[in-house]
Amino acid sequence: MVPSVLPLLALAVPLVAAIGIALLPARDGTTRRTETLHLGAIAALSAVVLALVVEVARGTDVSALGGWLYVDPLAAVFVALIGLIGLLTGLYAWGYVRHDLEHGEIGPRGHKIFHVFFHLFLFTMLLVVTSNNIVMMWVAVEATTLGSAFLVGLYGKRPSLEAAWKYVIIGTVGVAFGLYGTVLTYADGASVLADHEGAILWTNLAAHASALDPMLVKIAFVFVLIGFGTKAGLFPMHAWLPDAHSEAPSPVSALLSAVLLKCALFVVIRYLILTTRAVGADFPQILLMILGFASVAVASFLLYVQKDLKRKLAYSSVEHIGLIALALGFGGPLGIGAAILHAVNHSLAKALIFCGSGNVLMKYGTRDLGEVKGLLRVAPASGVMMMIGSLALAGFPPFNLFVSEFLILGAGIASGHWVVTGLVVLLLTVTVAAFVQIVSGSVLGKAPERIGVGDVGWRALAPMGVLVALVVVMGVAVPRPVARLIEDATAVVVGADRATPIAAPWQKAEPIARLAAPAAPRS
Amino acid sequence: MSGLQLANGLAGLLIVTSLLVITAKRPTTSAFFYALQSLVLVGIFVTLAGVTGSHELYLWAGTSVVTKVLLVPILMTRLFGRLDDPKLGTGERISPAVSVLMAAVVLALCFAVVSGVSLPAVAATKPALAVSLAHFFLGLAAIVTQRNILKQVFGYCLMENGSHLTLALMAAKAPELVEVGIATDAIFAVVILGVLGTQIHRTLGTLDADQLTSLKG
Repeated sequence: MVPSVLPLLALAVPLVAAIGIALLPARDGTTRRTETLHLGAIAALSAVVLALVVEVARGTDVSALGGWLYVDPLAAVFVALIGLIGLLTGLYAWGYVRHDLEHGEIGPRGHKIFHVFFHLFLFTMLLVVTSNNIVMMWVAVEATTLGSAFLVGLYGKRPSLEAAWKYVIIGTVGVAFGLYGTVLTYADGASVLADHEGAILWTNLAAHASALDPMLVKIAFVFVLIGFGTKAGLFPMHAWLPDAHSEAPSPVSALLSAVLLKCALFVVIRYLILTTRAVGADFPQILLMILGFASVAVASFLLYVQKDLKRKLAYSSVEHIGLIALALGFGGPLGIGAAILHAVNHSLAKALIFCGSGNVLMKYGTRDLGEVKGLLRVAPASGVMMMIGSLALAGFPPFNLFVSEFLILGAGIASGHWVVTGLVVLLLTVTVAAFVQIVSGSVLGKAPERIGVGDVGWRALAPMGVLVALVVVMGVAVPRPVARLIEDATAVVVGADRATPIAAPWQKAEPIARLAAPAAPRS
Repeated sequence: MSGLQLANGLAGLLIVTSLLVITAKRPTTSAFFYALQSLVLVGIFVTLAGVTGSHELYLWAGTSVVTKVLLVPILMTRLFGRLDDPKLGTGERISPAVSVLMAAVVLALCFAVVSGVSLPAVAATKPALAVSLAHFFLGLAAIVTQRNILKQVFGYCLMENGSHLTLALMAAKAPELVEVGIATDAIFAVVILGVLGTQIHRTLGTLDADQLTSLKG
């Protein structure tokens, strides 16, 4: 562990941006200044995040604030996701929120609230993944709910307020379970470790996990899984998710689905590590497999019957989070690696398609799939990108989700879960059918007369173009530096020297000599 | 009576006050009972601090007086006092008698669970530990059984008080900052729920959770 200022900087940038924008007056004349500050802040944040992730990827685990903040490869994957998706959805929001302002969906005050809470939300999520102090981690997860509640309810209409209320109530109640799990874990650690203060740090708990009381560890994991599983959107605690995702402004839907759910999963993975080291892998894996499989099963059918574009995409998130939980449940280096890769891949594709749903809203003014027809004709670039996003989420090659789903199924077979794996393959075909509905009905088809031809502005299209490129690149061949980082993150979870290589099935195998060599020791 | 017995006895009072919070007719009355309950919680902290000699617990008691006995109830009274939904009535799904019966069952179950914990730190305070766990689930039950969205906020507060007591019983020497973090979060949660509740009341003209049903499927 090497002290570094980078984690602090990564937290400071969005926090300062939120405060700065909050201090600007909310008038018509100041919206451009808000936008400038917003764009400057997301650019600065991505630079800091890049520096931080590169530092960790080079083999140095960094810490700050006397060990309260800690970034290892596992955290670095999620920090990178927040930075990247934050940058791209932030850019997308530039055009999208301006469109909302021009069309009277929000006023100058709503414009300001959006930008303040956007950065506050990024801050709280970064705090979740950089926390080494388990209580601070809980506080941060709770703060993500509070930070994003006003984003979900931004439009102030009946459905959006309803969604915001359900989101906060279910979120805080769920996370109260997380608090109980956190308290139990800390109390357990404090009674075992000589140093009371030290028991609050995850790294200390992980180092002494085998000394923890097995019964308490199990109870705590159940509470943690229910609590943070609620935020992650696992069935049956997912009830808030479709409402919040569909009612939030599209760039926020993208952030919620692509990053927030993953932050909650990150916390579950941290506790999975503790629990596995304390009582073995069987207990947590069974629970994760049950919740994961149930999520995939229920979500794939609900996904199919939705008539609202954004609700459909929201259920798709439940399904993919289920797949990730299932992969964690399969376990082993392959399962864990596949889970982390799938988390990354899903983030990219889901951010892309939620931005696409924003374009649909800008063009058609509705999310009803019965009315959205012929996107390819009225907005060709948006149409093509929506099609790519849909095919990627349905799991077609050469897009990225194919690679990680392939690895997940491989992990299922490797761990001997033939029946579960077989059933998941069947369920995935239902998902394919659901996304074919979007492509055949809404992207293709005959456009209504009233919709004029012409795509949305470049501000909305450019960040989507970047996401399309990433979805394809990660689908054709996982770039080496990304694969290395995910392999290192997997090694953190399974506690081995070296993890199974992360690569597409057709990617050239690594030279055996390099694979056989143990990873360089981390400082 | 030893200090620990006193702590266990006070923990019993927590259940009584939480039933009062749940069954009170008006949200502002609930806020008053919530303040009373927090005062009992502070009493437990002080008792435990005296027995264990934990300096941190005195600090907790201090912050709890500021946040839970004063700040949160005052905020709630101010935010909720202006909101009224005459059509809703008491908004209970189950009668107070059933609520009390349910509390008894939850308490019995929690005693059974806690008897299995073998941590030496809590050997003398098992009844209080069982109460803290039961308290947590009572809060959850309150959220499910109340239609008034403001009463649901109190459910969350009860859950939070339950975990807070567990923390004090099991890890009396936790750093003060832990406690401040949890308390601050609770305040923010109440404020945000209050603001959203006000917006819902203004826009939708109701406080009834059963009326919030335009989103389905």
